[in-house]
Amino acid sequence: MISWLVSVGLFLAAVAAAGWWCARAWRRDLEGPRRVVLTGGGTGGHVNPALAIAEAIKNREPNTRFLYVGVAGKAEAVIVKRAGLPLRFVSSRGLPGLRPSPALLRFLLTWAWGIVQSVAILVRFRPHWIIATGGYVSAPIVTAGVVLRALGIAPVKIFLHEQNSVPGQMNLFLGRYAQRVLLTFPQTLAYFPKNGVVVGYPVRRSILEIPKDEARQRLPFAIPEGRKVVFVFGGSQGARTINRAVVEALSVLAEHRERLFLIHGMGLAASEDYHAVQDTEALLKARYGDEVLASFQDFYYRQDYFHNIAEIYAVSDLVVCRSGAGSLNELARLGKPCLLIPKANLPGDHQVMNARAMKQARAAEVLFEDTVVEDGALRDRIDGVQLAEKILELLADDDKRTEMAQKCRQFFRKQATTRILSELYEDRSVDNGWTAHTLESLPPLLTNTRLLRRLQKAYDADPHHYDPERMAGIAEDLAYYRYRAAALLVHPAWSARNLGVKLIGLTRYQEKAPTLIHMLLDRTPASRVERLFGGDYHQVGFIRRNAVAALMVMNRMDASVEEALMAAMDDPYYEVRAQACRAVSHFGRHLAGKERWLKVLLKKLEDRCFEVTVEAARALGEIGTDGRALEALLNLGEAFHWQVRNAALLGVRRLMERQVIWPCEELLRRLSRFILNAPDFRPHFVIRENFNAVMRLCRRSGAASPEAGSPEAEAVAGKRS
Amino acid sequence: MIYEIANIILDSWPFFSFLRLINYLTFRAIVAALTAAVFMFLFSRRFILYMHRRGFQDQQRETGLSTHDKSGTPTMGGLLIVGAVVFSMLLWGNWRNPFLLLPMIAMLWHALMGFWDDYTKILKKSGNRGLSEKTKLALQSLFSAGFAWIMVGPLSPVGPEMAVRLYVPFVKIPVATLHPLIYAVFIFLFVIFVSNAVNITDGLDGLAITPSLFVMGVLGVFAYVQGNTIYSAYLFYPYLKGAGELIVFGAAFIGAGLGFLWYNAYPAQIFMGDTGSLAIGGTVAVVSVLLKQEFLFPILGGLFVAEALSSQIQDKIGVRWLGRRLFYRAPLHHNLQHRGIAETKVVIRLWIISGLLALVALATLKIR
Repeated sequence: MISWLVSVGLFLAAVAAAGWWCARAWRRDLEGPRRVVLTGGGTGGHVNPALAIAEAIKNREPNTRFLYVGVAGKAEAVIVKRAGLPLRFVSSRGLPGLRPSPALLRFLLTWAWGIVQSVAILVRFRPHWIIATGGYVSAPIVTAGVVLRALGIAPVKIFLHEQNSVPGQMNLFLGRYAQRVLLTFPQTLAYFPKNGVVVGYPVRRSILEIPKDEARQRLPFAIPEGRKVVFVFGGSQGARTINRAVVEALSVLAEHRERLFLIHGMGLAASEDYHAVQDTEALLKARYGDEVLASFQDFYYRQDYFHNIAEIYAVSDLVVCRSGAGSLNELARLGKPCLLIPKANLPGDHQVMNARAMKQARAAEVLFEDTVVEDGALRDRIDGVQLAEKILELLADDDKRTEMAQKCRQFFRKQATTRILSELYEDRSVDNGWTAHTLESLPPLLTNTRLLRRLQKAYDADPHHYDPERMAGIAEDLAYYRYRAAALLVHPAWSARNLGVKLIGLTRYQEKAPTLIHMLLDRTPASRVERLFGGDYHQVGFIRRNAVAALMVMNRMDASVEEALMAAMDDPYYEVRAQACRAVSHFGRHLAGKERWLKVLLKKLEDRCFEVTVEAARALGEIGTDGRALEALLNLGEAFHWQVRNAALLGVRRLMERQVIWPCEELLRRLSRFILNAPDFRPHFVIRENFNAVMRLCRRSGAASPEAGSPEAEAVAGKRS
Repeated sequence: MIYEIANIILDSWPFFSFLRLINYLTFRAIVAALTAAVFMFLFSRRFILYMHRRGFQDQQRETGLSTHDKSGTPTMGGLLIVGAVVFSMLLWGNWRNPFLLLPMIAMLWHALMGFWDDYTKILKKSGNRGLSEKTKLALQSLFSAGFAWIMVGPLSPVGPEMAVRLYVPFVKIPVATLHPLIYAVFIFLFVIFVSNAVNITDGLDGLAITPSLFVMGVLGVFAYVQGNTIYSAYLFYPYLKGAGELIVFGAAFIGAGLGFLWYNAYPAQIFMGDTGSLAIGGTVAVVSVLLKQEFLFPILGGLFVAEALSSQIQDKIGVRWLGRRLFYRAPLHHNLQHRGIAETKVVIRLWIISGLLALVALATLKIR
C-alpha cells in the first residue's frame, strides 16, 4: 500500500517538474520570433480563412513560424500542402450527437487521444498563438491549449474564428475559454457576449472589382445588349439540385429570352455518384433535343468552371448560388444581389441559417430545397418552374435588387484581415466594436415540437381565423418551417413523419397536399412482425388520421382530396374513418347534395365502431339535403351507445338549422321515441361555477390580472377547473 | 402493544382471564379493523383541511378527458391510510411475528416513495413530472431486491425450503421447486408489477381502494387458513406458522380503507395519491408472496392486472411501436369511460367485477 502511494507520488512529482520546466521554456521562447499554430479543416471553408490569416500575419511579421495541425485525409492535407506550410496530423472525429451511444464513446476516446497528441505537439512547438477556424479538426489542439493554459504551463493565446451565423459545436463549447472569438455574422454575437467580436471573413485571393463594360469585353462569349444577366452556379464542384432545376427552368425562361441572359456554371464534380457536366448535358438533351438547345444559345451559356469568375460576377445583375460563408462574403464584397439556395440537411443547417440571416437583413432572397423520395432514395430538389419564376420576379424589380445589393455590401464587415490582426496583436489599430449596428437579433427558431404546440394552441383557440402567415414570431420563418416539415415527411421513423404531417397542415403548406394524400392512400404493408401485433401499413394509423386532419386544417378541397376522403372512408383503422367523416362535416358546403357522399355516410352509420357512427351522423346533418338523411338519423334513436343517439339529435338539429327540414307532428313523435336515459353525464358543481363567475366579473371590471405569487393568483391557478 | 401487555398480565395474574380474548385472531382482527376505521373518521377532516391549506392539491395530468373537474382536491390520502394501519397495529399487533414486520416495512417504504413522487409533482405543479420513471423503478427495485433476498434466505418467515416452492391455485401440491435465485427474480418482478398495477388503477374516485379491500380480505382468509394447523391440513394448504397475524393486518387495512372510502367516494374529497396506491400495491404483493399465493393474484387482483396490461399494451405496443390505438383508450377504466359510461358507474361496475373475482379466488380454497 505504502509503496503504491509512494510511486504515485513520485509520478505526480515528475509530471509537475516536467510542467514547470516546460512553462519556463515557453516563457523564454515568447521573446523569440513569433510562432503560430493554425488549425481547422475538414472542408475548404475552414482551411481558407486560416490560410488567409496566416498570409496576413506573414506580411506583417515575415519571420513568423507557422505550424498547421489537421487531420489526415481531409481537405487541409491537400490545400495546406499546396500553400507550403508545415503540416502535422492528430486524430479527431466529428461529434455524433450528445446521446449516449457507442459512437459517442468512440468520439470521446478519439478526442482524448487527439488531446494527448496535441499536448506533445504544443510542448515541442511552444506557440504564442493558436488560431482555430473551427470544425472537429481543431478540437483536440484547442482543448489541449485550454488545458495547458489553465494549468499555468502554457502562456498561449487562443483565438477562434466562426464563419457561420450559428456557431459550430466546438466553438460553442470552447468559445468561453478563448481569448477572442472572431465572428463573421453580427447575429453570432449573442452566443459570445463576453469575448466575441465581429470582424468578418478573411479572404485569400482578392477579387478585384472590375468595371462592367470592361468585363463584358473580356468574356469569351457575347451577351447581347439590353439583357439582364443571371449567373447560376453551385460552387466550384457544382450542385445537382441547382443544375437540374436550371434544366427545368429553361423552358419557362425561354419565353422571356429577349430580356435575359443566363450564365450557368455546372461545376467540376466528376465522381461516379455525380458527374456534373455529363448529367446536366444528358438532361438537357433528353428534355429539349439538339435543335432547341442550339436555339437557346442566344440567351443561355454554360460551362463547367469559370476561372475568370471575377468577370462573370462583374457582368451579373443577379447571382443564384449556395450560401456557404465563403461565397457569401465574396458576393458581399462585390455587392451583388443574390438568390440563395442553401444546401439542406447540413450539420446545424448552417447554410440555411446564413441564408436566413441575410434574408432578415433584406440582403438576399432565399429558396429552400425540398426533400422528396425519388426511386426509393431521398433526394433534395428545387422545382425548376419555381426557380424560374423567382428569377424573373427579381429581375423585373430593379429597386429591390438595388436595395439587396446595398444591404449586402453593408452586411459583412470590410477589411476582415486587418481587423483580425488588430485583435491578434492587440494594438487597437481598428475599432472592432459594433455599437452602431441596428440589426435586431433574429427571433430564435422554434424546434419542431415547440412549433407544433404553438400552432396547435392557436388553431384550437380560433380555427376560423387561424392564419400562420400572420402570426407574430412565426410568419417570418414560415418558409423555413415548411421546408423542415417537408423534410420530416420522408423520415424513416414514423413518429417523425407523423410530426411532419401535423406541421404541414398547421403551416398550411398547400404544395405538399398531394404528398399527404399519397401517404393517406399508401397501402405499403408494415413488416410481418408488426402486422402480427395489429399493425397495418407502413404509413401507420396515426399518420393517416393526421393526414386527414391536416387537410381539414389546410381547408383544402378539390377533386383529389375528395377522392382521397372517399377512399379513407374504407380505411381499416377506425380513427381514420372517423376523421374522414369529421372532414366531411368540415367540408359540408362543398359536398352537400352529392349523391355518393350520402350513400357512403349512410353505410358508415352501420360501422362496427361507434366513434365512426357518431361522426357519420354529424356529417349527415351537414350534407343531407332530403328526407333520406333525416330518416337515417331518426332510426338511430334506439341505438345502443348514447353518443350515437346524441349525434343523431345533433344531426337533426343541423338539418333544421340548414332549413332542409321543418318541424312537424311526425318529427316530434319520432324524436320523442329517442331513448334519453344514458349512463353518462357531465357534473355540474354549483360552487365551482359560481367561483368562475366571480372570477370573470373581477377580470372584466378592470381589476388587472393579479400579480404572480399573490394569494389571488394562487386561488385562480389552483381552483380553475 | 395491547397484545404484549395483555399476555404479560395473563401470565402473572390469571384473574384477568377475559384477556384470553386477545389471543384469538378473529377478535384481534375485528378490533383492529374498528380501530383503524375510527382513526380514519377522527382524523380525516383535519387532515383534508391541513392538506388544502398547505397547498397539497392534485395536479391534473394532461389527459384527453377534459371534463374532469378534479383539480384542487387534496392528495396524499395514503398517509392517512398508512397512519391508520400503523396505529391499529401498534395497538393490536404482535410485533414479534415476522409475518407482520415485512408487510409493514413494505407499506412504509412504498408510502415514502409515493410521498416523494407526489411532493415532487406538487412542487413542479404538473402531473406529468413527478419522480422520473427511472427513479421510481430504482426505488422499487431496491425494496424488491431486499425483500426477495430475505424470502429465500435463512431469515425467511416461511423457511427457505418452503420459500422456493411454487404453488398454483386449484393444485394441491407445489408445482415446482425453483432455484432461489430464479425465485428471487420472480418475486422482484412480481412486487414491481403489482405496485405499479395498483398505481395505474388509481384513476377514478374509489376505484383502487375497494378492490384492494377485497384482495386483502381474501388474503386474510388465506392467512387464517394457512396459519391454522387444522384448517391448513384439511384444505391441503402448506402450514405457515404465524401467518395468522396477517388477518389482523388485513383487517386493519380494511378498516382503514373503509374509512378512506367514506371521503373518497365520488365526488372525492381526498385522493390517495401515489403515496397510497404504491403503498397498497407493495403491501398486497408482499402479503401474496408471504402466503405463497403469488399465482392467485391474476384471479384475485384480476382488475389490477387487466388495468396494468391494457395500459402497457396500448402504450408500448400500440402507440409507440405500431402507431395506432389497439384499445379505444387505456387503462381499462378510461376505455369504459370513453365508451360512454359515467365515472361512478364505471367504478361500481369494476367493484362488482372485482368482488366476483374475489369470490372465485375464495372458491379456490376448496376447489382443488
